Amino acid sequence: MVNGEGRASHFALRLWLSASVFLVIASLCVILGYIFIQGGNELSLSFLTDMPQGFPLGVEGGIRPAIVGSFWFTAIACAFASFLALPTAIFLAFYAGSARTVSLCHFFIHSMAGIPSIILGLFGYAFFVITLGFGVSVLSGGLILGIMIFPFIEVRVEKTLSEFPEDIVQASISLGITKRWTLVHLVLPECIDDIAAAIVLGGSFAMGATAPILFTGAVLFAPSPHSFLSPAMALPYHLYILVGQGISISKAYGTSLVLVILLLILNIVPLIIKMYRKER
Amino acid sequence: MKKERIFIWACKVITLLAVSFLFFIFLFIAKESFSFFQKTSLLAFLTGSRWNPIVDPPAFGLMPMICATVYVSLLATVIALPVGIGTAVFLSVSAPRNIQRTLLPFIDLMAGIPSVVYGFVGLMVIVKFFEVRFSWSSGESVLAGGILLAIIILPYIVSTCYESMIKILHHYEQTSRALGVSKWHMTRYLVIPSAKKAILAALILSFSRAMGETMAVMMVIGNSPIFPSLFHKAETIPALIALEMGGAAVGSLHYQSLFAAGFILMIVLFVFNSFFFIIRKHIGEGIKW
Repeated sequence: MVNGEGRASHFALRLWLSASVFLVIASLCVILGYIFIQGGNELSLSFLTDMPQGFPLGVEGGIRPAIVGSFWFTAIACAFASFLALPTAIFLAFYAGSARTVSLCHFFIHSMAGIPSIILGLFGYAFFVITLGFGVSVLSGGLILGIMIFPFIEVRVEKTLSEFPEDIVQASISLGITKRWTLVHLVLPECIDDIAAAIVLGGSFAMGATAPILFTGAVLFAPSPHSFLSPAMALPYHLYILVGQGISISKAYGTSLVLVILLLILNIVPLIIKMYRKER
Repeated sequence: MKKERIFIWACKVITLLAVSFLFFIFLFIAKESFSFFQKTSLLAFLTGSRWNPIVDPPAFGLMPMICATVYVSLLATVIALPVGIGTAVFLSVSAPRNIQRTLLPFIDLMAGIPSVVYGFVGLMVIVKFFEVRFSWSSGESVLAGGILLAIIILPYIVSTCYESMIKILHHYEQTSRALGVSKWHMTRYLVIPSAKKAILAALILSFSRAMGETMAVMMVIGNSPIFPSLFHKAETIPALIALEMGGAAVGSLHYQSLFAAGFILMIVLFVFNSFFFIIRKHIGEGIKW
């Protein structure tokens, strides 16, 4: 095997693998590096806490309402998605008797995950904004983001639940304890960190999404929302407007840096929870 | 016992509610589209080459957008696939454990960067590069969109392939090693051929993700509703919807035409996703022998 041809092809293989990995790492580094370096100059306390100012709006000042608005959208999305995902995951992991039901539900959930976010935006506009009359508001935007991250959270929670050792559940049930009690007092406390991690990661997915809230909840300018039915600014949408309308590239760097840092924090939180739990 | 029954019942109802959203979405998009198709024929909509909804009579030809969507997605997949597979092979076969463990979160991180941030960086780096380096009048082009999309779909390709390759490896590694087969030989004649199904699944998944991507593509592709060519502007279906929805009056023909465009996209992606679902289900079965 160590003939010339073999060596040459192994070398080619090696080259291909290294080049691939290099390209992946390089593109990630360029993207993050660009944002951190360029956005770093823009970042200051007043950028975080001021209202957007100047004309056109956003040339000066800060992005406080966009940060607050993003948290509103994300919180509503997480609440709604968890409300849908946790019972669904529990049902599919523990109660759905037939394999066909489970497999059919998995197919539906998978199909939901495959719907492009812009279509969700269209649906949200037709359903939440017009038909249900919620108007362009954090509620409409949050709900549609919730539908977007529901499959994401459900799949992860169901995986956690179904990986819970079955003999413990069986033992508990043979002691005459109901399945519900077993679930609430045995399974859920044990899985709570993974479930929380799934919800937080889903939240980070929702926080970065623009297309679903494009015409359902995000607006050019609004003060921090004071009720569920008021429209709000959001970081990704604000970034899109700053760039798309050519308002301010330097503010756009600042905005994307803030967004990326928030997402990084949301991505790290689950790891910290896990490490803390392990130490205990 | 009664509590138990209520609990099960509640779980069932919420599951039903969650799943029914899929049908709600389908119904709402379909409802608006069908009132559009009553006024314009489906064939004319799909094959028409002119899109101008605000002149009189309006022209609703989706063909340029369909071509652009397919073109830019194909381009992205062609660029991303070799790189993605290479990375997956590297991670599963040749990377030591600790490098695997540090690189995997980076791949997840890539998937977690919002598409609007990708679009912004793409505009500042890729588009600007074309303008400065090749002195194009406008760097916004199908090529820029394809390159950017390739980066966006990379993590999907890597994780789909990696998952399957690591399974194959766990299954055969000991035997292979014991027989004195070199790592590279194993990669070439065992890992890559056995991962064919996973690669196909990754191809379908990434292609459908690319077709549905909105913000990033919209920011670098220039958005003019003309037939696409590599170095010129074009407009994809998601971008069309995102850009024109704000200006379309509720219930107008223009409004309905955008739902119709969304409906077409949704159906196509639904078919792709179903294929992906079926293939992925069969991936595990191939390894048994």
